Amino acid sequence: MEDKVIEVNFGPQHPSTHGVLRIKVKLDGEIIVDAQPVIGYLHRNAEKLAEMGGYPKGMIYIDRLDYVAALNMELGYVLAVESLMDVQVPERAQWIRMMMVELNREASHLIWLGTHGLDMGMLTPFFYCFRERERILRIFDEITGSRLLYNYFAIGGVYSDITPKAMDMIREWTEDFIPKLEEIQSILGKSYIYVSRTKGVGVLTREDVLSYGVTGPMQRASGINRDVRKDSPYLYYDKINFDVPTRTEGDVYARFLVRIEEMRQSARIVRQILDKLPAGDHYNKKYSKPMLVRLKATGEAYVPTESPKGEFGIHLIGDGSSIPYRVRIRSPSFANLSSIPTMLKGYKIADLTAAVSSIDPVFGEVDR
Amino acid sequence: MIPIESESSTKNGIKVVYVAKENILPFLSEKKQEGYDTLLMISGVDYRDHLEVLYHLLSSTNNSRLIVKTKTDGEVDSVTSLWKGADWHERETWDLVGIRFKNHPNLKRILLAEGWVGHPLRKDYPMAKKQYVNLADNGEDTVSFDKMEGY
Repeated sequence: MEDKVIEVNFGPQHPSTHGVLRIKVKLDGEIIVDAQPVIGYLHRNAEKLAEMGGYPKGMIYIDRLDYVAALNMELGYVLAVESLMDVQVPERAQWIRMMMVELNREASHLIWLGTHGLDMGMLTPFFYCFRERERILRIFDEITGSRLLYNYFAIGGVYSDITPKAMDMIREWTEDFIPKLEEIQSILGKSYIYVSRTKGVGVLTREDVLSYGVTGPMQRASGINRDVRKDSPYLYYDKINFDVPTRTEGDVYARFLVRIEEMRQSARIVRQILDKLPAGDHYNKKYSKPMLVRLKATGEAYVPTESPKGEFGIHLIGDGSSIPYRVRIRSPSFANLSSIPTMLKGYKIADLTAAVSSIDPVFGEVDR
Repeated sequence: MIPIESESSTKNGIKVVYVAKENILPFLSEKKQEGYDTLLMISGVDYRDHLEVLYHLLSSTNNSRLIVKTKTDGEVDSVTSLWKGADWHERETWDLVGIRFKNHPNLKRILLAEGWVGHPLRKDYPMAKKQYVNLADNGEDTVSFDKMEGY
């Protein structure tokens, strides 16, 4: 019998692609010989759009990159603009930003955990995760007024202060989130089917990770201990105690464990911020709204931040006018997704959904 | 040692070096050996009179960052032989800014449809001119300026 390689199309409309990913898979029987991802179905050129309006206007497009962690995206842009223009931000605003970003990281990881369970054929963790995420979204609703796309961080601070009611909601949430997380972890981690479908699947070695520029939880699951929050601290991450979880296996199960541990650490950070939150202004009064549209800048700045998916960076180049000359977005999912050919080669077709969902791609960010 | 043309830094203190276009591949491979083992991204900037390619490097041993820039008229050497991740970044730079990468294994558009006219991140790209993408019967995308073509 001769070898027969058949080509199978996966996506772009498929429930376990987490958006619009298309993969051209070449199969020899059940074994994946080659997998080539095709992207661009959600492309709207956010970089060009951000170059068409003033500095504050870019925010609405940056918001829509990683739409499940919009505050993390906003933070990257705001920090880049502030370091380009030497804007001073009040201490309270920085602490609020840090707390909001960690809450959003939590929400993003919860949505990943729920849909990852769904891809593995388990419906229960989906409901548990979305119940917890709903509580975080209600906190955001109370503070910012929206549930998904916030436009909350402004150049020089944040748009509104945290209300006492929101403080109570966050404190209540931090108290009973950890037992709930343990419950969700045990549903997946103690399931024989889940563990046997994820252990040793979609392995990326240390060399692959460095070669593809993979960042975030995926690189930490492959044994590289690197986190922008620890290595080059922005905001006040140097005044907070937290650990960076790492594993060395580099498979889907290791990524699951790393993300779960990251959620524990985020809750720990939020708890510390609640105790440390200083009083004061929530924005720099020099940068009021009429002032914002007249902001001008020259020079360039690249600011890396740690988004839930990896290193998110904005490279801004100003030419002296009130419109940015070039906005370059470093989106972590784009680089993480490019490792698919290496990650899938040699595994069975049934491992494809497990491996792809362990990347946690969000296509607003991949396609920009 | 490969000579650098000039040296500066960004507002937040990341080192920026300019390297001649011919030296970009040997310079980056020298830097890779010095410990800059991660290529974060490749981007292109259109300065109207010339184009620039930017390489963001990160070292995982001592956590230092470096931005390498080179001036070009539209073509530079590909660095896919050094980093596998450069593949997609170079395709994106070709797609959106229109910079060709010599010896790239598969230099096709990645975000836009194959056959798209122009490169959107060029400053002279006509924003008012609309292009429509249709899926042809053979499964490939076709681009046209006529809205009704293909229906």
